Amino acid sequence: MEKFLRTPIKEMIGRFPEVGRILDEYGIGCVPCSVGTCLLTDIVEIHNLSADAERGLFGKIAAVLFPRQAVPLPETKRSRPAGPRKIVYSPPVKRLVDEHKLILRFVALVPEIARTFDAASEEHRRLILDAVDFIRSYADRFHHAKEEDILFGYFDPGLDILNVMHEDHRRGRGYVKDLLDALDRGDREGVVANLAGYAALLTEHIKKEDEILYPWMDRNLSTHKVGEMFSRFQEVDGRFEEARRKYEEYVVGIEGKYKAVAEVAR
Amino acid sequence: MSGFSGCPGSKMVEFQTSETSEEAVGIKAPSQLRQWPIQLHLVSPEAPYFKGADVLLAADCAPFAMGNFHNDFLKGKSLAIACPKLDGGQDAYVEKIRALFDEAQINTLTVVIMQVPCCRGLLSLAVQALQKSRRKVPIRYVVAGLQGDVLQDGWVEE
Repeated sequence: MEKFLRTPIKEMIGRFPEVGRILDEYGIGCVPCSVGTCLLTDIVEIHNLSADAERGLFGKIAAVLFPRQAVPLPETKRSRPAGPRKIVYSPPVKRLVDEHKLILRFVALVPEIARTFDAASEEHRRLILDAVDFIRSYADRFHHAKEEDILFGYFDPGLDILNVMHEDHRRGRGYVKDLLDALDRGDREGVVANLAGYAALLTEHIKKEDEILYPWMDRNLSTHKVGEMFSRFQEVDGRFEEARRKYEEYVVGIEGKYKAVAEVAR
Repeated sequence: MSGFSGCPGSKMVEFQTSETSEEAVGIKAPSQLRQWPIQLHLVSPEAPYFKGADVLLAADCAPFAMGNFHNDFLKGKSLAIACPKLDGGQDAYVEKIRALFDEAQINTLTVVIMQVPCCRGLLSLAVQALQKSRRKVPIRYVVAGLQGDVLQDGWVEE
């Protein structure tokens, strides 16, 4: 069992697809992950299941890996007891979650932006450039910079879960670059495909962070580090205050525009 | 009906003491206290041990209820204690906690209180002080049961 606990999850699910279904049953959504380098043992710890649920999960996985054999299950070890599933974020992490809410409000408009996009229209071209400006300046430079430069810095950089998050950020930047290339070529399909790819990636990425990564990080940050991180975030927020207001207004503006467009289409 | 209809904070309860192993009795845990005085009326926010510190504000009863209070909560922190039910001059408490935020520029404030309703007043004093403060500081709160178990552990929302 120990060997399997230390196997990257993508390899595990590739060899034993049933393991993916069992993880899904316990709310662990590793199957669609494109990276899949996290070890099974780390994944179970990060999800902070109750002791009973963890034993049940390992029991079912053991039955798949070693059919008709009794194998000892790993001991349940956890930094804090698993409490009710309501997530309570520390103040600095809560700020990142609030920033996700603005990004998700933008992402929710992407299907309508894509549906109505006209590659021949200068106005539509401008709308895409504004959207790219929001993604690059707010989502990437401001928000991801706080994550990568500050929050992630409190953890071992070799952690698989952090590599997965960095890879998501890199893929996001890739979609934006390809989106701009498609826009330059006047390639409507390319613009639409990259917008959709970015929206799908960010939706899944934010869900992973809000529900799994951030709660796990909060459980492993000392009170002192939370305070220190809060001060560092305050400093970044102060520097970006004007830009933050600008991008909040941008999202409110395009919400008004595309909701009106959607209503006319109906 | 228990027959008791008064304040839960004053309700008489006798606990069954659990068996304690000889080894546990033999362990002399070192004190984690690193300052004096500790009572909130007596401490000065200008004291060097508050500058940039992680501060623990504990209800008077909490350290007696929690068997591992020093290691779990006091270690690495500067301390103030108070009773929101019995202490007078609580306006001065609000001002003193505000000074910890603004002048001592503390890093965090952890408020440890008991589960009895009156003890919530201590957390309320800390929140009032934060509202009056120019700085924002994370406030963590821990609610202890009468026998020292942690019932709640969270952060005050900004």
